[in-house]
Amino acid sequence: MKKVTSLSGSKPKWAVLLTAVVMIFMAAQWAAAENRFPKPEFESAYQQPRTTTPDGRGHVFEILDMAVLVLMLILATVFAHRRRSRKALFVLTIVSLLYFGFWRRGCVCPVGSIQNMTLAVFNQSYAVPLTVIVFFSIPILFTLFFGRTFCASVCPLGAVQEFVLLRPATVPFRLSRILGILPVLYLGMAVLAAATGATFLICRFDPFVALFRRSGSFDILLLGLFFIILSTVIGRPYCRFLCPYGVILGWMSKLSRFRVSISPDICVQCRLCENACPYGAISKPVPDDPPESRRTGVRRLRALLIAAPLVIMLMGWSVSLMHPLISRMHYTVRLAEQIVKEETGSTDQTTLESRGFRASGNDPGILIKEAVQIRNRFRTGSWIAGIFFGIVIMGQVLGLSMVRHRNDYEADPQSCFGCGRCFESCPRQHMRKAEK
Amino acid sequence: MKPDEKQPVSRRDFFRDGLRGLAALGVATLSGLLMHRSVSRRTVWQIDPDKCVQCGRCATDCVLDVSAVKCVHAYDVCGYCELCGGYSKPDAHRLDTAAENQLCPSGAIRRQFIEDPYFEYTIDEAKCIGCGKCVKGCGSFGNGSLYLQVRHDRCLQCNDCAIARNCAGEAFRRVPADRPYLLKGEQGL
Amino acid sequence: MNDHISRRMTTFILITASVILGFYGFSLLRERAGRNTNPYAYDLEPFRRSDSANVLYSETGFIDFSGQVLTALCADPGHGLIVAAGSKMFRVDTINRISEWIPADEPVRCLAVDPERRVYLGYEKSVGVYSPDGSRLDTWQQFSENAILAGIAAGRDVYVADAGNRVIYRMNREGRMLASIGEKDPVKKIPGFVIPGSCFDIQISADGSLWAVNPGRHKLEHYSPDGDLIASWGHPSMRLEGFSGCCNPTYFALTPEGNIVTSEKGLERIKVYSPDGELRDAVALPGQFDEGTVGLDLAAGPEGRIFVMDPSRARIRIFEKGERE
Repeated sequence: MKKVTSLSGSKPKWAVLLTAVVMIFMAAQWAAAENRFPKPEFESAYQQPRTTTPDGRGHVFEILDMAVLVLMLILATVFAHRRRSRKALFVLTIVSLLYFGFWRRGCVCPVGSIQNMTLAVFNQSYAVPLTVIVFFSIPILFTLFFGRTFCASVCPLGAVQEFVLLRPATVPFRLSRILGILPVLYLGMAVLAAATGATFLICRFDPFVALFRRSGSFDILLLGLFFIILSTVIGRPYCRFLCPYGVILGWMSKLSRFRVSISPDICVQCRLCENACPYGAISKPVPDDPPESRRTGVRRLRALLIAAPLVIMLMGWSVSLMHPLISRMHYTVRLAEQIVKEETGSTDQTTLESRGFRASGNDPGILIKEAVQIRNRFRTGSWIAGIFFGIVIMGQVLGLSMVRHRNDYEADPQSCFGCGRCFESCPRQHMRKAEK
Repeated sequence: MKPDEKQPVSRRDFFRDGLRGLAALGVATLSGLLMHRSVSRRTVWQIDPDKCVQCGRCATDCVLDVSAVKCVHAYDVCGYCELCGGYSKPDAHRLDTAAENQLCPSGAIRRQFIEDPYFEYTIDEAKCIGCGKCVKGCGSFGNGSLYLQVRHDRCLQCNDCAIARNCAGEAFRRVPADRPYLLKGEQGL
Repeated sequence: MNDHISRRMTTFILITASVILGFYGFSLLRERAGRNTNPYAYDLEPFRRSDSANVLYSETGFIDFSGQVLTALCADPGHGLIVAAGSKMFRVDTINRISEWIPADEPVRCLAVDPERRVYLGYEKSVGVYSPDGSRLDTWQQFSENAILAGIAAGRDVYVADAGNRVIYRMNREGRMLASIGEKDPVKKIPGFVIPGSCFDIQISADGSLWAVNPGRHKLEHYSPDGDLIASWGHPSMRLEGFSGCCNPTYFALTPEGNIVTSEKGLERIKVYSPDGELRDAVALPGQFDEGTVGLDLAAGPEGRIFVMDPSRARIRIFEKGERE
């Protein structure tokens, strides 16, 4: 086909770009003009209906959510620290399960709020709702002062697992430490995904939310079922080995002002509480005399401190190597890869997404440029995530290598959920009750 | 490592107090800064009808058994035609209400004769599955008065909307809850 | 706890952990692979892929209007074409060279040239009259508040199609209203126009009679200057001989031989009919247009050439009979 004539002849590149911009602008105007058309004139008394716009939940309910959260945190704290009542805590757990779980259907929860907060920090145009800010920060503040009372009986995810725990088995200490790295990795990836605007990983793979909604995709329902079965023998598997919010609360809890103690007053070393905790959060006394000489300890510490920067950078580097893979979490990157494949002819299979993109008439060049930018963000992000993993892992190793002297049976603040099971096993608690 | 026996507790406590203060300050600052441009009401998910490409995922991907996305009708944009691209199958033999001639897979569009030559089309939301088939038909041949919207009386407002994640037109976005619909026609102005 | 149980426990937990991690990975990967079919697809493909064997026309060239949003087209017999792109006007001469013409007052929705080569530009609620050299002669503003002018045709008298009121006005060249044509009238057996979209095209034939499209009824209607309905034809069908969708045909043009060229949206088709409604030829089929193209205004040129305004590709495409490449 021959081109007869052109309006503009050959144009420099910028002119083409300019006309493209003008064209898009005018196309929008034209489309608006195209909408102008005559309405039917009805001779009968026909009244044209309006499109209905049913509202969602009212504003009042959002305030109620926040109030319930704060109230339940206060109650959980009082029950764990003052009343020292397992029964009361358990009742609270049921309330949480009913309110935040089945009534509110698991959204919004503090666990997922990490992502909203991250997105808000990195994306200026995302206005994070007040509810989310409150759900994110109030449990953290409580934890800073009173330990993980939120986990104990306010979190609906914890409540599900708490509820079905029938025959707790002990997870070997070393293994639990190794698996304890998982939540940190999960947190890192979830923050990375949220910061780049890719996806909300935590919500997407929340195993219990489908249960709360009583509907959901098959695989998530399956995952939920699996976790529930697992929870019958392993105490709170999600909280201990996956929950990213638990990581934050664990660290905060290490700094907490007041701590949940096993005994109401003094530990009599009766060892009755030794197996009371299904979550492996009770630390045994460590004998005063260190099993190794001070010199070896110092030497090991020195070696670890020298190795630390190396390990950390190595982690950063190795995670950054995976950034092309990780960046595929982002829709734009996936789409751009598909479009490139189609344009270069390496596939003749189009996808729903690529067909949708073609239908939108957007410029593939702009899409690809955008995808490259996003991938670069992922490169930076995965470096940071890798360094973060490195620091946490080295911190863990250092912590393990430093043996601290401990006299009594104590609840490890980082992993104690404050469920109150150990209270009942302490003879001092029973004595105190009897005194009252 | 053997810590100095006289001091350890108070030193560690001091350190802890400081860090706790810092952490609390950090969380408070972050919250405060974000609250500055926060909205008092929540945001809700909604579909931009101009971007929707009718990929069918609203029907298949919603976490609800029957999607919270429904077809809605901008009556003031509708031509009230007898031959409706959104109502009849493209190859319908007759322009009647027989099931085999209807485009909608769940028969959710009701057609009612008003006066010659006008017919009114209404969506039965209980039946609509949000597949967007009629939207495509209406958009191709008609004025595009049928379009998809998230219905907030049904939507659970998941933090991570399963449809938004896979929307082939990237038409889902968060809108302020006090203006929760992106309507066509005069109601959208 | 003894070592034996501990080891079993470890194995159990490790297996469980890998199952869960595997699940997460699998779930992510599966999404990445994408699900490729829409079970609820609205499929026009079978109709878009209609048989092209009996298409005797082929596209022989195009006039490039890159960067313009084309809105209206008409033939200026003997001199080429007049093209409107919003409120910009262009002339195209007989060897298809483009020159910019006068700027219009507002976006032009339709236009026509009379035998004396005066140009009538139809805006939303008014008509601008210009001399062939582009000087303004008159502006007609006597249309009602809810008028939406969508078609204009000029012969000895000027006809203006008002989509808002579903009526065609016959006016003299001074702009005085002479008659209203096409209003619903059971006595004269006029069914009335049904205008569901924004298209309401009209043309004057060589004998001075008026052709109008009635898109909501899928018909072309033939009126005498006095407003009597002489004939009408057309029926809704996805098949080639009918008009598809809810509001077709969208535009039409009369060829010098008296045939009628029609355009449709939805299934973008250009076809030639005899004046009594018999399908003569298909000019272009859906596969030759971008899906969803609307506003295919038409003009018939000399030597059987058909000009098709394609706003989606911003060009005027030229189709000729028998010249297959």
